[in-house]
Amino acid sequence: MSGETVKLISAEGFEFVIDKKAACVSKTIHNMLTSPGSFAEREHGEVTFPEISTTILEKICQYFHWSLQYASHRCAYLCKLHLSVPSGKETEFHIEPELTLELMMAANYLHT
Amino acid sequence: MAMYIRVKRNKTTYFLQCDPTDKVLQIKEKLQTLIDQPVTDQRLILMPVEKVLDDSKTLADQQVENDAVVALTLRKVSELLLIKEFVEFSLEETLDEIEFLTIEAASIVNFESFVIADF
Repeated sequence: MSGETVKLISAEGFEFVIDKKAACVSKTIHNMLTSPGSFAEREHGEVTFPEISTTILEKICQYFHWSLQYASHRCAYLCKLHLSVPSGKETEFHIEPELTLELMMAANYLHT
Repeated sequence: MAMYIRVKRNKTTYFLQCDPTDKVLQIKEKLQTLIDQPVTDQRLILMPVEKVLDDSKTLADQQVENDAVVALTLRKVSELLLIKEFVEFSLEETLDEIEFLTIEAASIVNFESFVIADF
């Protein structure tokens, strides 16, 4: 089990334990965890982000899971149901306006 | 997996993927592999309503939805148990000491009888 989860640590030292599969939604994290050589990140499954605050990192983790649940199936799903496309309200990923700027910078860094 | 919940304790958040039909006990079993604490020592509390979750019921039964925040608390080592251990330990120490004193006393007695016999 421990091999399937990774720990992401925010600037304030708060830890988020998430499935490796979810974390790999981010190309940057995926590269950190799979690059050859024995990097500390790969050995312990821990990645520290000194420049990402806790609120933003939590939002990012929520996004990873949302992405796993909806985004990957979205194309197939929409093609199948193209006449009755859902309103999207229940599947929408909510972002607080005050977080947008920081979230965009983090998303850019993480390639998500 | 249809949903996830956020289990929080101190500075750590665990994102657990689960189904609405999962029993709370199954969630605790997942946590056990992550934090090395037995299922019986865990208590999950749904936030922000602060409702303690029942092991035998499912998540859906107890209004635990996708993205819900659940607080994790752990049972303290019973103070009574600590006292019991301490008492047992000191009892053992005392018994060891008594044994040591007995041996010493016996050797002194033997020595004296030897000295007396010499005369």
